[in-house]
Amino acid sequence: MDATLFFQTLVNGLQLGVVFVLIALGLTLVFSIMHIINFAHGEFYMLGGYALFYFFAQFGVNYFVAIVISMLLVGLIAVLIERGVFRPLRDFPLRALVASLALVMLLQGAGLLGFGPEDRGVPAVVTGTLALGGTIFAKERLMVMGIAGLLVVLLYLFLHRMKLGWAMRAVAQEKEAAALQGISVNRTSAIAFGLGCALAAGAGALAAPMFYIHPFMGSMPVMKAFVVIILGGLGSIPGAVAGGLILGLVESFGTTFAGGVVSSMLSFLILILVLIIRPTGLFGHE
Amino acid sequence: MLLSLKDVKVHYGRVEALKGVSLEAEEGAIVGLLGANGAGKSTVLRAISGLKALTTGEIWFRGERIDGASPQSIVSKGIALVPEGRKLFPFMTVRENLRLGAYLRKDRSQINKDLKEIMEHFPILEERKGQQAGRLSGGEQQMLSIGRALMSKPTLLLMDEPSLGLSPLMVTEIANIIVDINKGGVSIVLVEQNARLALSLAHKGYVLETGNVVLEGDAQELIDNEHVKKAYLGG
Ligand SMILES: Nc1ncnc2c1ncn2[C@@H]1O[C@H](COP(=O)(O)OP(=O)(O)O)[C@@H](O)[C@H]1O
Ligand SMILES: [Mg+2]
Repeated sequence: MDATLFFQTLVNGLQLGVVFVLIALGLTLVFSIMHIINFAHGEFYMLGGYALFYFFAQFGVNYFVAIVISMLLVGLIAVLIERGVFRPLRDFPLRALVASLALVMLLQGAGLLGFGPEDRGVPAVVTGTLALGGTIFAKERLMVMGIAGLLVVLLYLFLHRMKLGWAMRAVAQEKEAAALQGISVNRTSAIAFGLGCALAAGAGALAAPMFYIHPFMGSMPVMKAFVVIILGGLGSIPGAVAGGLILGLVESFGTTFAGGVVSSMLSFLILILVLIIRPTGLFGHE
Repeated sequence: MLLSLKDVKVHYGRVEALKGVSLEAEEGAIVGLLGANGAGKSTVLRAISGLKALTTGEIWFRGERIDGASPQSIVSKGIALVPEGRKLFPFMTVRENLRLGAYLRKDRSQINKDLKEIMEHFPILEERKGQQAGRLSGGEQQMLSIGRALMSKPTLLLMDEPSLGLSPLMVTEIANIIVDINKGGVSIVLVEQNARLALSLAHKGYVLETGNVVLEGDAQELIDNEHVKKAYLGG
């Protein structure tokens, strides 16, 4: 393989990887606080894509502003869903899991009714390429990578520097003790769920100009995000980052060498291997 | 009276864990709450802290009724719990655990002073301040759990079996700490299976059996009581 192809595949893999990281971070955040795997996480990604489609492509709002609006809007919807669906099921993780499956169908149906079944395209935000040492990169991919990377850093700073972030980590580690320090578990869970879904929406908004938007676009990314958080370790933030980048690279190199089907199979083969060999993942603890 | 429970009943599902418990804690005192495993001691503390709702009954603290209030609001009124099993934030550092104890406080500079003071009081915590709480030994974890509770500046400290699982040497150290905290003006409700320890520290004691208070009195009275001797002090 020549160097140009290698670097292009590498950058594609990293770009794909940071989007996986964003989706997986939301999923892992929700898991660590609420102890449920939210199967409907992909539908928040879908909603983020549509929000971007409407605000950016239809209403002509600035792209970056449209991303922020998508995240806020979807985050808000998520907070309401936490109140209405997941809070009453707090002490029943299995029921909450089933409810999240129901939510997949509900939100996909709502998407179908509300947005229509046709594929929607979002125009490219930046066009053109950048030549670096003989390798040519699409500027759009570099921008997506930059924004996703920035969101990951902001999340890290939020969790470690802001009082609310401390509260989230405390609730994730020892719920009752968090309440005893004066942290509202209800409020913190709602905000964490909103934040996690807003990250999925951000990923959907970032992916929108590169892929078509449709009501079922969330199914595959959420599966990939499962692979990521199981690979990295359930509930682990560094794990989600490492797992996402690894999966992005595996898929990118896999696609280049063996085609899309094999590369996708490879991801799920990794999932099964991790479950058998190291069920706690790369960074997980029991 | 600083704290009083009046005819408190608590259920877990259909099981009645507290069957009408009344008890009182005077300002400045250490009150011991004794009883065998499953007697309802932790449930009493959980009810006071707002973690467990009452079925009926009342809890009063400093002339205010507090049953039904959220754990947050109860901490803010000046009641802190050192829970059974320590319940630290295992992946946070010692310092972060202590800092979280002051979660509701806004007086930043005073918080830092208190943090220093607690580290001076527990030199081992100072030494380990950057380590994850989950990696401490049992005794160190107990000190951290106590330190974290003190960071909220409580008037009343509830302690749930602080001696559990510790070496005899460590138990003595924790006992000294409890006395020190009390001398510093904090009232204490001390739950213990180790009746000897509890009665040696407490001014007043209650004996709980299957959800009922069966005996109460000054610590010395309880030490001399035949039933207590037989059932709790090993003859
Ligand atoms: N979460 C719970 N669910 C059901 N029953 C409980 C729960 N916690 C405690 N109990 C029951 O309530 C009674 C009192 O328990 P507890 O207050 O923990 O006793 P102690 O602290 O004195 O050992 C016991 O019979 C126990 O089995
Ligand atoms: Mg107990």
